Amino acid sequence: MKQSYKDYFQKGDPYVLLTSLGLLLTFAMVVMLLAIILVKGLGIFWPEDLVKTELKNKKVYLGEFWADEKNISKDEAGTVTITKKEQYKIGNRDIYGLDFVWLKSDDVVSRLKPENATQFERWEYGNMYGTIKKVHVGDETISDSDAIMFQKANDALDKVDVMKDELKELQTELTDLLSPLNSIRREISLIKINKGYYSDLEKEQLAKLEQFEIDTAAKLKSEHERIQERINKTTERIESIYLIVETVDGAEKELQLSKVVSFFQPNKMNVIDKSIHYAARVWEFVAGEPRESNTEGGVFPAIFGTVMMVILMSIFVVPFGVMAAIYLNEYATQGPITRMIRLSVNNLAGVPSIVYGIFGLGFFIYIVGGSIDQLFFSDKLPEPTIGTGGILWASLTLALLTLPVVVVATEEGILAVPRANKEGALALGSTKWQMIRKIVLPNAMPGILTGLILAISRGAGEVAPLMITGVVKLAPAMPLDGTFPFFHLDRKFMHLGFHIYDVGFQSPNVEAAKPMVYSTALLLIILVVLLNLLAIFLRNRLRKKYKSSSF
Amino acid sequence: MVINIKGSVSSETKNEMANENIIIETKDLNFYYTPDKAALIDVNIQIPEKKVTAFIGPSGCGKSTLLRNFNRMNDLIPDIKVEGEILIEGQNIYDPSVRLEDLRKKVGMVFQKSNPFPMSIWENVAFGPKVNGESNISNLEEIVEASLVQADLWREVKDRLTDSALDLSGGQQQRLCIARALANKPDIILMDEPASALDPISTGKIEETIDELRGKYTVVIVTHNMQQAARVSDYTAFMMVGELVEFNDTNTLFTKPDKELTEEYITGRFG
Repeated sequence: MKQSYKDYFQKGDPYVLLTSLGLLLTFAMVVMLLAIILVKGLGIFWPEDLVKTELKNKKVYLGEFWADEKNISKDEAGTVTITKKEQYKIGNRDIYGLDFVWLKSDDVVSRLKPENATQFERWEYGNMYGTIKKVHVGDETISDSDAIMFQKANDALDKVDVMKDELKELQTELTDLLSPLNSIRREISLIKINKGYYSDLEKEQLAKLEQFEIDTAAKLKSEHERIQERINKTTERIESIYLIVETVDGAEKELQLSKVVSFFQPNKMNVIDKSIHYAARVWEFVAGEPRESNTEGGVFPAIFGTVMMVILMSIFVVPFGVMAAIYLNEYATQGPITRMIRLSVNNLAGVPSIVYGIFGLGFFIYIVGGSIDQLFFSDKLPEPTIGTGGILWASLTLALLTLPVVVVATEEGILAVPRANKEGALALGSTKWQMIRKIVLPNAMPGILTGLILAISRGAGEVAPLMITGVVKLAPAMPLDGTFPFFHLDRKFMHLGFHIYDVGFQSPNVEAAKPMVYSTALLLIILVVLLNLLAIFLRNRLRKKYKSSSF
Repeated sequence: MVINIKGSVSSETKNEMANENIIIETKDLNFYYTPDKAALIDVNIQIPEKKVTAFIGPSGCGKSTLLRNFNRMNDLIPDIKVEGEILIEGQNIYDPSVRLEDLRKKVGMVFQKSNPFPMSIWENVAFGPKVNGESNISNLEEIVEASLVQADLWREVKDRLTDSALDLSGGQQQRLCIARALANKPDIILMDEPASALDPISTGKIEETIDELRGKYTVVIVTHNMQQAARVSDYTAFMMVGELVEFNDTNTLFTKPDKELTEEYITGRFG
């Protein structure tokens, strides 16, 4: 008996069990993480039915069912009372002040799903829930059956969208027209700035410029007025298209269609309609611009900023890391100094990321950016041009943060290159550099790409160092666009990681922002996975090429 | 132990070496991997041009070390020390004016374990000429074909020059390495136990290839296998613990060695 007990431990069965438990736990955690984020992140886009609730006190609400809660309380006598509560998103923030309401389930008399209940997604003030009462298009007023009015309102919305595009074009035209005038004004202000007196030369220049300004303004006057006229007219026409919406408690409200993103009647929709709507909303989330201080709309600028930042970071970190690793392994004399350098590089990987952020702020932004401002943009000082947070500095900071990973992985790749191949190349009369370029680098490429994968994984998820080197809540313009010079590396940018933090914790409307946090987190995961897959795909192709180089 | 040797001994062979052109000559060569222990001690050897010379001797006797000094491969090892001179075509290769790359282009090397690069067969052979500045494609094509023909590999690979060199068999890989060395048009080819990792048939093919190279190149081969030395070489050097014991034409060395030590080794009394 004792023997078999000892046997049991010697064979290691309990330890096998332990290790399998460890694996199971890890796996379960991964699955749970993905499941929660998937369910919460994807569920929000499904158009929920609108519920009209009537309370005992005759109060009525219309909105989406959001959550419910059970409260169990015990009083002194020991009687247990269970109170059930349910939460609805009732929208109409401009009328009620709050988007959400908690109702006691016992108070609710009826829960109905009226067919004509309509959900309006607005550019501002969140959703509106109600029924369409009248449609105004210009002088025409339509008051008909709900289906016809819904159709008419939809047509009108398309018209408004077209007119809004026109308006935008007109405004660009106006800006372009006035740009020469503005540059003259800028020159004038440059001369006038911070000056009490002017030299004769400057006085002459000023007089010339001022005359030029008047001439130009006169020349542009008629064209300017023509465009302004059209702008006014279009604006007027847009404003003449509006709905009268009746809220559930009977109040009537005018709703400009120019302020509506889209509207739909979920209670009338079947599963297919809802699926189409779902896809459209997912697309809006991925490809659209954020609104309502990021709690609604899309996250495209954040996706774009994240991807561009990661690509820029890779462009900086890979050549640097590879060069450092090559020198360290191939050229540097191996000894205490190289050992020390290697040790410090490895340890850099453990430095908290916020420390890198501070370094990025102190070195890149203040010292490097500040010096560039002093040298090239001194006319705009004290306002910084490039000596302020931007995607360039953020990428450089992250490149520094991920440098150790790339150096270490590249070193491993270089060490895996068979010595026989290196000797063979040298024996054929190649120089050391030729040997490195033709034998070592191609063979170490899988290692280098492993480094890149690790760098991307770490870099894409970092938030702390970005917060002080260039990430913003809402960037007015993308770091890459159609205006010259196309790459605007000095611009601030948006980032998914920061977006999660901002929407989740800095938002004025936390309840409404909650789903956005999950969907953004899901998107960040997908993005990191995609970037990694790309690098892994590249690495595998290279591996195949050099498959049996190390026997 | 019966030694298989070609032809019979004639009294003239003893003086044969006097008529040869000498291409490699060492003068009092001492070599140290570590400062306190010499790997080569006062080696003086004169290797004749366009002949096959074999180095034999027990493990650790310094034969590979000596070979790897001829193209200065030992330079890769840190903290080595060389005393004396190695003259190749009359030029001391440790002279600072000698460009290492030029020396290695002139003195090719084939290693014990075949080491084809993870590239196509064509790229492998063209590697040497390319790094030495040849960029004309038609020239390269010519060089690749000629080298593969000389290494007796052309027939087997001519239809798959773009395939990876790593897909070749072990013996083919070693002949590819010979072709690669030949592509540089060297004067001397050093072979460090080129067949020790191969099966008898592949070894036979390598030996045939070496036979073909005789008369066109100076071949210096290190081998553990005394029959191989007897089969392929014109001259043989016997080394022991860093010293050159005896150097003579192969027939004489294997049939009438001067030194008792040599006789003991070739008859298998130690080794």
